[in-house]
Amino acid sequence: MVDERGAWAVLSSVGGLGPATFGRLLREQGSATRVLELAASASGQTLLRNGPSGSPGERAADDDPVAAADRRRIPIDVIAAMVLAARTASDTLGRWREAGISFVTLDDPAYPSRLRAIDEPPVVLFVRGSLDALSAPHAVAVVGTRRPTEAGRQIATRIGDALTRSGAVVVSGLAVGIDGAAHAAAVAVGMPTVAVLGSGHDRLFPRAHVPLADAIVDAGGAVVSELSPDALPTQGTFPRRNRVISGLTQATIVIEAAARSGALITAGWALEQGRGCFLVPGSIDAPASAGCLAFLRAFPGEARIVAGIPELVEDLDLVDRAHGMSTGSVGPGGPPRATMPAVSLAALQATLGAVEARLAGLLVAGLSTVDELAEGLDLPAATVLGAITLLELRGLISSAYGRYRPAGALTGCGPGLPHPRSGATLTGDRPRDTRVDQTAARSR
Amino acid sequence: MLATVHAATLHGIEGRLIRVEVDVAPGLPGFTIVGLPDAALQEARERVRGAIRNSGLAFPPRRITVNLAPADLRKAGASLDLGIAVAILVGSEQVRTSGRWAFIGELSLGGDVRAVPGILPMAAALARAGVRRAVVPRGAWTEASLAREIECLPAATLGDALELLRSGNGHRRRTAAAPPARVELATGPAEAQAAAASQGWPSVPPGVRSSAAPGVLSSATPGVRSAEYLAGAVPDLADVRGQLLGRRALEIALAGGHGLVFVGPPGSGKTLLARTIPGLLPPLDDGEAMVASAIASAAGEGPLLDLVRTRPFRAPHHTISYAGMVGGGPRLSPGEVTRAHEGVLFLDELPEFGRDVLEALRQPLEDGRVAIVRVGGATLFPARFQLIAAMNPCPCGGAADPTGYCSCRTGVPERYAARVSGPLRDRIDLWVEMPRVPPGALLGRTDAETSATVAARIALARGVARERAAEPNSRLNGRLLRAACDLGPAEEALTGAIASSMLLSARGVERLLRVARTIADLGDAPSVRTRHLEEAARFRLPAGLLGGRRAR
Repeated sequence: MVDERGAWAVLSSVGGLGPATFGRLLREQGSATRVLELAASASGQTLLRNGPSGSPGERAADDDPVAAADRRRIPIDVIAAMVLAARTASDTLGRWREAGISFVTLDDPAYPSRLRAIDEPPVVLFVRGSLDALSAPHAVAVVGTRRPTEAGRQIATRIGDALTRSGAVVVSGLAVGIDGAAHAAAVAVGMPTVAVLGSGHDRLFPRAHVPLADAIVDAGGAVVSELSPDALPTQGTFPRRNRVISGLTQATIVIEAAARSGALITAGWALEQGRGCFLVPGSIDAPASAGCLAFLRAFPGEARIVAGIPELVEDLDLVDRAHGMSTGSVGPGGPPRATMPAVSLAALQATLGAVEARLAGLLVAGLSTVDELAEGLDLPAATVLGAITLLELRGLISSAYGRYRPAGALTGCGPGLPHPRSGATLTGDRPRDTRVDQTAARSR
Repeated sequence: MLATVHAATLHGIEGRLIRVEVDVAPGLPGFTIVGLPDAALQEARERVRGAIRNSGLAFPPRRITVNLAPADLRKAGASLDLGIAVAILVGSEQVRTSGRWAFIGELSLGGDVRAVPGILPMAAALARAGVRRAVVPRGAWTEASLAREIECLPAATLGDALELLRSGNGHRRRTAAAPPARVELATGPAEAQAAAASQGWPSVPPGVRSSAAPGVLSSATPGVRSAEYLAGAVPDLADVRGQLLGRRALEIALAGGHGLVFVGPPGSGKTLLARTIPGLLPPLDDGEAMVASAIASAAGEGPLLDLVRTRPFRAPHHTISYAGMVGGGPRLSPGEVTRAHEGVLFLDELPEFGRDVLEALRQPLEDGRVAIVRVGGATLFPARFQLIAAMNPCPCGGAADPTGYCSCRTGVPERYAARVSGPLRDRIDLWVEMPRVPPGALLGRTDAETSATVAARIALARGVARERAAEPNSRLNGRLLRAACDLGPAEEALTGAIASSMLLSARGVERLLRVARTIADLGDAPSVRTRHLEEAARFRLPAGLLGGRRAR
């Protein structure tokens, strides 16, 4: 037979058996193992369904004992599912083990304490990856729309990067859009991040993010779900999942949420759970920011704005830790990295060819289309296009829909102003491909 | 008695020689046509009967059997009317014939000879079969004269045709017969007329009942139609403001024959740029012009006044049917892919085209021709076109808006882009993302280059490519492509760096090299240098169209 923790996990994955009924069964029968034993035996099933006869204290509270018993009775299909789960319990546990899925129960000391503090915490968390990532001293949720603008996506990347480098674990929902960008930023630094699923592990949704989920596990992070590994995602699972995202963290940051966005549900949970809640404001004309602005207006004093990335790190009280952490607890990435990817534009330009350096300056100044860049450089389109490619090979430019924007180290450069923390250099960033630079220079 | 004359029908875009055999035998009056005629041809009986009676001739009250040989070829259309009528008249001994004459034309009940589609390919086929003299509808005489090695005589009415037959028999005039070439070239109607005149034939021979006004033929200036088309509807590149990326891509695509797709929101100038294409294409050479003219004639664009010299630019609407695109239909007409042969097929709103229509483009893009297989056999149409297309990044177009807000539901943009299948994408060398520009910013005189300047560069680059290889750059592959590019170590290193950093597949690298080769040709560079590769890398498939919505 299975041990108590395994019994918890098996029972909690029975469809239709909610936390309340689960709790009552535990109280009535004493242990989950006992519940499973009863379910597996023909005589025990009735007992499970109707509850023990001798618990008058609870019955007395009701006026009509028969109606009360009916209300408390567990539906027959749930009992059937429990019977099936009880009979296949060992197989199920073995299958999870093979799939690399572990679990942590509410009464387990390893259960993340922040999450235990919320109303209705998940009874069991199914975890792929590192359990430690769930209980990291600092965890921040970064969530937002699945349809971000390119600017929003970049902000998500930069915030994810900054928080990770400040020693916080980024928690999000593995959705496409902002969630994915935030996870990817942490993975890119080689640090743990936590993805909370709205489906079971075997039914990971969206499918496009299966590789990202694997990368998260490989980077020492965790992919968690309160649902049984074979549970399908439904409309209701995602909003419920959101309470886990906010519950695992000290604060939730929303980057771009249109009106009625699911990300605002997470923000609402964060306030209800007494956690911090920060929203990136946007233009009043931007549909992708309408939800953020509406939320800020609805919760003045509680919801706060993200005024900038260094400011956010400061508001989250992560600054000192960031300096403290650079001594040892860095992941397998190698030498300690700079806290912020900021470098001065001039320093960056010095590493580039003449045309690329001028192009980088124009990009930072906000020019984006080939027409604007060609006019700014006063060079033919063919030359401008070649220079864009060279910047792309250095990871300094991103493109979307015919518009080019700074990327990588170039995003840290203010327009013409050296950044306050400009002491950092490029050493920690993408190594410069000198071979390509030389060949490019020769051809010119 | 038995009479035989030659005639021709159209099969696809090829003419076929048909022997019209008529037996006028004693018996109950009757008129039967055998030899796989279609419905239009069965109705020839009524037209022929009426035309003969109304030309002042007698329709023989005998048992008339018309056999169209070869018997196994399905014959369609009305081009055999004139041949059948003449054969009946010969068979009933009202007129005599000798030598190898052919007759092409549709008859009216009044005896007028009407033009039919495909006169040029039919005349060319007759010439190949050794027929030296053909009577053709007067309205299509100029077109028929474009065929070489055959003397074409215009007839406005059945009476004209008989008159020509009588005088031709009397004088026994013949052209100097040279062995017919497989592809016959004509220099133009003016020369053809001069040639005819030098042999004693009047430019417009006297007809019994000439229906055309004098001078109709000579007043028509060859090529005037296309010239008007160019002057009127085609915008000049100088009128397109900005859009340097799109312009450059268009120039490269046209120079190398590459497939090109513009991806951009409504109002980014995709269609405007595409409409400048006719002004940028070099004219057809002689061989291409002959094929293009035959296609235009078979497609019913005739009668042609001159060989089609302008490169085709076809822009079918996205509601086009499968048969409309690849060809087919009851008459086995050439489709848009064939009508765009040696030219450009422009598909606006690419994902809106039917799935089967888009998939049908794969064969012609690969082989340069399209096979239409039916019970009766396969017909091959030439279809070596260059695909240029435009599409929105998503149905709402908002993703590419400066505010960047896409109101499409989750998954919709992916499904939209996925309508352009992978095999089709593989055939497209250049992808351009066009940003939206403010309204009104697209048009207006600027100091931008004119179409003429760019067209000259394109023609030059095409010439350079032709000297190097028989195929255009867009068809270079594998070893040939590597040889054409002649990469040095620096270029090899850059290609590797681009491939690894931009996650190019082996096919992606080939696309990069092909485009770089054309860019080098535009700069008249003998081998591909790093700057060409750097520029070429900008035209790869946008990440958003790979699926996964740039979601990493």
